[in-house]
Amino acid sequence: MLTPSELVWLIAAVAKGDQTAFERLYEATRAKLFGVVLRILRRQDLAEEVIQEAYVRIWNGAAQFNPALSSPITWMVSVARNRAIDVVRKRSEASIEEEPSAMEVAADSPDPLARREMTEDLKRLLECIGRLEPDRQKLILLAYYNGWSREQLAAKFETPVNTIKTWLRRGMMEIRECLGL
Amino acid sequence: MMAFSEDHIALAAEYILGTLDAEERGQAEAIMLADKDFAAMVETWERRFGALNEMVGAVEPPQQVWEKIKAAIADAEPQASLPPEPPEIAQPAAALRPEAAPEIRDGGNIIVFTQQLKRWRNLASGAMALAAALLALIVLQAWRPELLPGALRPEVRTQVALEKPAAPSTSAAAPQYVAVLQKDGGAPAFILTVDGATRNFTVRKVGAGPEPGKSFELWLISDKLPRPRSLGVIGGTEFTARPALAAYDPEVVTNATYAVTVEQAGGSPDGLPHSAPVFSGKLIEAVPSTSR
Repeated sequence: MLTPSELVWLIAAVAKGDQTAFERLYEATRAKLFGVVLRILRRQDLAEEVIQEAYVRIWNGAAQFNPALSSPITWMVSVARNRAIDVVRKRSEASIEEEPSAMEVAADSPDPLARREMTEDLKRLLECIGRLEPDRQKLILLAYYNGWSREQLAAKFETPVNTIKTWLRRGMMEIRECLGL
Repeated sequence: MMAFSEDHIALAAEYILGTLDAEERGQAEAIMLADKDFAAMVETWERRFGALNEMVGAVEPPQQVWEKIKAAIADAEPQASLPPEPPEIAQPAAALRPEAAPEIRDGGNIIVFTQQLKRWRNLASGAMALAAALLALIVLQAWRPELLPGALRPEVRTQVALEKPAAPSTSAAAPQYVAVLQKDGGAPAFILTVDGATRNFTVRKVGAGPEPGKSFELWLISDKLPRPRSLGVIGGTEFTARPALAAYDPEVVTNATYAVTVEQAGGSPDGLPHSAPVFSGKLIEAVPSTSR
């Protein structure tokens, strides 16, 4: 993995239309972005489509990236993740019940405990999430990692959607306070 | 950083968490476009939660993914090329048939344009989902001429339409119209707003990339007019404000399709479009603001 400043440099070159830099950027980041969207979409074909779109957006949007506001990898992951969430939200509107099996696969909570080296940012965030009640912690993490909708979360927690809504909102507000945002 | 209501903070938070439904996501994205502070708040959340992705395992995508990306960016470069086929065309094929060729002028560009137009009209209605989300936005008045760069930024008065539909307007308020000009349901390129009373319009460039050596030109396309009418070159700066629509009938203005083409620098020399529309959209009536 390249360092953040190398990535910033590559993105700046991509903004000027440098295709070689774009290829290096792709090589350095593709596996992370693909891992993130695959976790949400749980279908190889959809994940491939989304990752293609995401990199085209990164190519077109490189000039808008502001290293003062965001880290390069966070920005790129956000572009891909937002696309993935858009896709699952649009699909789930057509039929929420469509893929119950997908939920089973995803029912294990993500694995934030494969503690390798965690950045300070991650430790801080996990500390704040960790102050929530255990169910709410799980709720927030399932939403973020798996891209689950409120309806899917409601089914998983056997709780009405409106209650889930309230929990999500309160949970995020508590995290905000804890982070000092 | 300005103070946001709890509804806004929650909207930003749930946006990055991913739990909003499709419509709410569109709404949040529209507010991000119109309100830099809101966008900055979303970015802050995104950055903080982005740390969670450290824990997600890397998965190698297959080789053909890169081939497709490479092909896509090669295609995407000249924006003046024909737009891609719209994904669904819900109209009889006959409507697309070029048999009833209109006047042949200018190397047939007009014909191409007219055919494209039919498709673009359909596309424009596909854009309505996003446009509807923009109803929430007009309350911001973020693209009204008086808020052009340099003007004092007003107090944030973003309203989340979900929670709080805009208050019924006073009868004195003139209707405001807004159109999102976009390509194929993609990210908005320009946002057009029209004041119902004066028919002055403002175009805000939001996502259109630069076109070196070329100019974006805005066109009004109406069933009631024999050919597209130029509304001038746009996009040279972030905002373009002009009274050019005052000459048209209000009904034409509100029902028209607005399309953007890529023309030679300075705009079309002969008042006719020379590329297929690269972005287009239709106006929707937005809620007039009563908050000032």
